[in-house]
Amino acid sequence: MNGSARPILEVSDLVKHYGGVRAVDGVSFTVQRGTITGLIGPNGAGKSTVLNVIGGFLPPGSGHVIFDGEDVTGKPMHRLARLGVVRTFQMARVFGGLTMIENLLVAAPAQRGESAFGILGGKRIWGRQEAELLERAREMLRVFGMEDKADDYARNLSGGQKRAVETMRALMAKPKLLLLDEPMAGLSPSLSKQLEELFLNLTRDGLSLLLVEHELGTVDRLCSKVVVMAQGKVLAEGRMAELRTNKEVQDAYVIG
Amino acid sequence: MEYYLVILLVYLGTDLLAAWGLNLEFGVAGIANLAFIVTIAAGAYTYVICTLSSPAAGGGFQQYIGGFSLPFPLAVVAGTLMGGVVGVLIGITGLKRLRQDYQAVAMLVVSLMAATIVSADTSFLNGNAGVAILPQFAPLSDQDPEIQHWGYVAIVAVACIVGFLVLRRFTDGPIGRTLRAMRDDESAAAAVGKDVVALRLMVQAVGGAFGGLSGALLVAFIGGWSPGAWAYVETLALLTAVIVGGMGSNRGVSVGTFLIAILILQGVQFLPQISFRIGLREDLGWILLGTLTIVFIWVRPQGVLPERRPKYGRSP
Amino acid sequence: MELLIEAIGFGIASGAVIALGAVGFSVQFGMSNILNITYGSLMTLGAYLGLFLIDRGASAWAALGLASLVVGAVSVVFHRALLAPLVRRGTRAFALVIVTVSAGVVLQYVIVAFAGPDAKSYGEQSGQTFRLLGFILTASQVTIILLTLVLMLGLHLLLTRTTLGRAMRATASNRILAQSCGINTDLVSDVAWLLSGLLCGAAGVALAITTVSFDFTLGPVFLIPMIAAAVLGGIGQPYGAMIGGLVVGVAGEVASAYTNPEYSVVVAFAILIAMLLVRPRGLFGAAWATRRLAA
Repeated sequence: MNGSARPILEVSDLVKHYGGVRAVDGVSFTVQRGTITGLIGPNGAGKSTVLNVIGGFLPPGSGHVIFDGEDVTGKPMHRLARLGVVRTFQMARVFGGLTMIENLLVAAPAQRGESAFGILGGKRIWGRQEAELLERAREMLRVFGMEDKADDYARNLSGGQKRAVETMRALMAKPKLLLLDEPMAGLSPSLSKQLEELFLNLTRDGLSLLLVEHELGTVDRLCSKVVVMAQGKVLAEGRMAELRTNKEVQDAYVIG
Repeated sequence: MEYYLVILLVYLGTDLLAAWGLNLEFGVAGIANLAFIVTIAAGAYTYVICTLSSPAAGGGFQQYIGGFSLPFPLAVVAGTLMGGVVGVLIGITGLKRLRQDYQAVAMLVVSLMAATIVSADTSFLNGNAGVAILPQFAPLSDQDPEIQHWGYVAIVAVACIVGFLVLRRFTDGPIGRTLRAMRDDESAAAAVGKDVVALRLMVQAVGGAFGGLSGALLVAFIGGWSPGAWAYVETLALLTAVIVGGMGSNRGVSVGTFLIAILILQGVQFLPQISFRIGLREDLGWILLGTLTIVFIWVRPQGVLPERRPKYGRSP
Repeated sequence: MELLIEAIGFGIASGAVIALGAVGFSVQFGMSNILNITYGSLMTLGAYLGLFLIDRGASAWAALGLASLVVGAVSVVFHRALLAPLVRRGTRAFALVIVTVSAGVVLQYVIVAFAGPDAKSYGEQSGQTFRLLGFILTASQVTIILLTLVLMLGLHLLLTRTTLGRAMRATASNRILAQSCGINTDLVSDVAWLLSGLLCGAAGVALAITTVSFDFTLGPVFLIPMIAAAVLGGIGQPYGAMIGGLVVGVAGEVASAYTNPEYSVVVAFAILIAMLLVRPRGLFGAAWATRRLAA
């Protein structure tokens, strides 16, 4: 892991007002390439709002978001996704009228079948790419153990299954930076463990993750660095082990 | 009797084209375009002002812009293109991130506004009186009636076949999947990189083109077009066909169009005269349509022939 | 200049009727979060019922009162029997709009089926003409303005001074919280729909009185200025709708005085579209338009 290389994500002085309150009040931190960074803190600390702003779901009040050296502050969600910043939602938002496997297929970037040429040209133009995508999607379902639900309508899946679809879909989009909002919530312990392994494997291939997570055990296992937030501000930034002894962090968790 | 069959077939063909366009926008892409009828009107009016000669040359009975004396094929193409343009313009009003019901009402208002403006401004498209064209069956006007009638049916049939082949390119395959994803959840679609604005405008252009083609072919047959022909309720008839037939499904919508256009709207003509009031049968038709829409939304929103689920199954 | 003042006078008169309808529409939306397009046809119903009664010898006031009551009752039944169950089943917002548009069409053509498509008139109801500050108004227009003011005041007192009014405001802002305070939200909802239906019916009769003749398209045509007024004022905000009605009425009349009389409605259309595109929450309202529909 090269600490000297530019971080994949730099957030500086991010401010966001939400309903009259400063939900995010001058937040700055970085995410290094190929690492998993955790964003933790008590409820209402502003973690999800930070994720929403970085991911383009909300425009920032002020501040900057630099991704891979480029200032992407305020860019719309789809532009960010194409640059490689992909997010999942806290409330799993699946495409209910599509089957599970279609949910994965639709997320793949740069599909020939979506260009004007591809639409009018038909299967001849996009057929091969589609077959490759199908293989990728099937493989993903295998990894998550959900192949038998491939043709089920996503709206009929259970809550935990929907969350898995969220994560699988995000992975299908070939991200460089994944913004995950509580990806383990509602998953069975075995599936959680599988997902943790998957994430660690992916970072070895260069993927970076920013994770909002309440389950401190997961954070401990996965995150090489943790950013602690409370009441819209960053309290501390560092490794989990160091932060355990940090008085301010302890206070935040007791009070907040 | 035979001529009646010709009328039915031409109406069915043009209604299919319109319903397919609306289904692409509403059933597949989730855009509740309650102003769809305006694209049909755009196609019809464009055809008329393209085929007519200049207002003065026609004797000055009608006032309108244009008057280019173009032949049938060019005028139809112009109508189709204008339908697409109007579709995009309507689409622009729906781009702001409003709640979907507000968007639907905004489109309804656009539809009413367009009809009111055209009605009021007599120099634009002859106002409320509408515009008439002679002769009818323009491409075949120097043949005898049999050939004129059935020839036109053939023209409409060809348009439908070509139209359907083009339609399928948009409703199936990766783009169809992407549009349905956008229908289900716009934000989630954007989060995986879909440019929702571009997709919506594209859909409204294509859907509008289908509407324009429908309008152009229809007006060439009936010979005239006025604001009365495209009151906002006309979109409701198409909407009923889409909802009852099966939202998002081309087959379903085709069946729905047949049911609504032929069985209901034409069927009520055969009811015995109930009272001395003329037009009562059309009123019954509308009452029936409105009721059907409500019943289906309540009981079976997916329609008579729902969208087919693509089955990929397990890998071999 | 005289033309302008006259137009403003007409605008106040038509604005009063628009305000009447807009407030009813706003109350319905504020209570149930539904854009009820059937409202237009319900106004038509009010107009035709009023005519029916007047033709049988009722006085204008009796016709107004009775027609309003009937429309109020129909509104409550409509909401309870059709709209509320659909909302409970999670029907999406735009599907509800389609339902209300369809119901509006059905009602409209039922009216036509019974009453015929030709134009109707209440006959000469105007009364004498007054000159007030340069405005030229007929007695009936003045009466309607006064009536609107009285009804608005009545609504205001109801909402602020009575227990029922407080319950209505509570239910409109947070239904679940209101329920947990022991408020019977279904009943409160019914009352809101009854009251707004009354206003709707009254608006229909008022419209019929102030226009020379009308037909079954009365409702849909005048619904748009009312929605424009409601959105302008901030939809769900009855007080905003009152001001919105005035603005839309005056703007429409001024525009039609200087251009084509048909364009008064177009002005309303334009205001509505502009508001929806630029500031959906209106001048005074909360961010209803961009909020997701609570399931």
